[in-house]
Amino acid sequence: MAPMPQRGGSRDREGKTAGRKKFFVRRRKVCKFCAEKLEYVDWKDVKLLQSFIPERGKILPRRISGTCALHQRKLQTAIKRARSIALIPYVTD
Amino acid sequence: MRLYDIVVLLTPDLSEEEAAKVTADYRKILTDGGAELVRDEPWGRRKLAYAIERKRDAYYHHFQVRAEPAAVAETERRLKLSDQVLRHLAVRADEELKRSAKAAERQKAKAARRPPRPVAPPASEAASEATPAERSE
Repeated sequence: MAPMPQRGGSRDREGKTAGRKKFFVRRRKVCKFCAEKLEYVDWKDVKLLQSFIPERGKILPRRISGTCALHQRKLQTAIKRARSIALIPYVTD
Repeated sequence: MRLYDIVVLLTPDLSEEEAAKVTADYRKILTDGGAELVRDEPWGRRKLAYAIERKRDAYYHHFQVRAEPAAVAETERRLKLSDQVLRHLAVRADEELKRSAKAAERQKAKAARRPPRPVAPPASEAASEATPAERSE
């Protein structure tokens, strides 16, 4: 379990300039909710939730969306609530 | 008194007026239980994300109420019994709001504790300007 703390750290430093010329400089991901100062994730806001649901209907992992842990947790409950009243699909195929 | 969000889904078999009548029934149940309506908005007929009881759409109605837990429990019990209600969801909304208010307060306190930001850079600029001037003298 030693490499665990290192993993998060290396992923944070994605915009490193140490690489060669061809190295693709990735934009640093930011949590959407933190950036917009949204503390509360509204489960009635279908448009917002839809942006975190890819075609398959699964919840977008935060490794991809860049959402922080706190907001991912809130987003998760919001999506699950929206699913239960058929605002958002459980599965799509 | 607690703040609740309640969403009710009614069968598409009802007409627009009938749906309004059924929601009025539930509104009455809520207010009889001592609930105070904060928000009361029909979302109209919406497509469901998946079929419920072979139905592809439903009438949505959203209530936001300030009520005692017992009043909401009673409404939920009635909602469960009804055949016209495809589905419902009742959740507390005040806990999240309280937490976000607290977080906003914390941020404000933090901002107040820190010395005002825009003042610092001009001061350092003045210092850097002062040093060459001193050197020239």
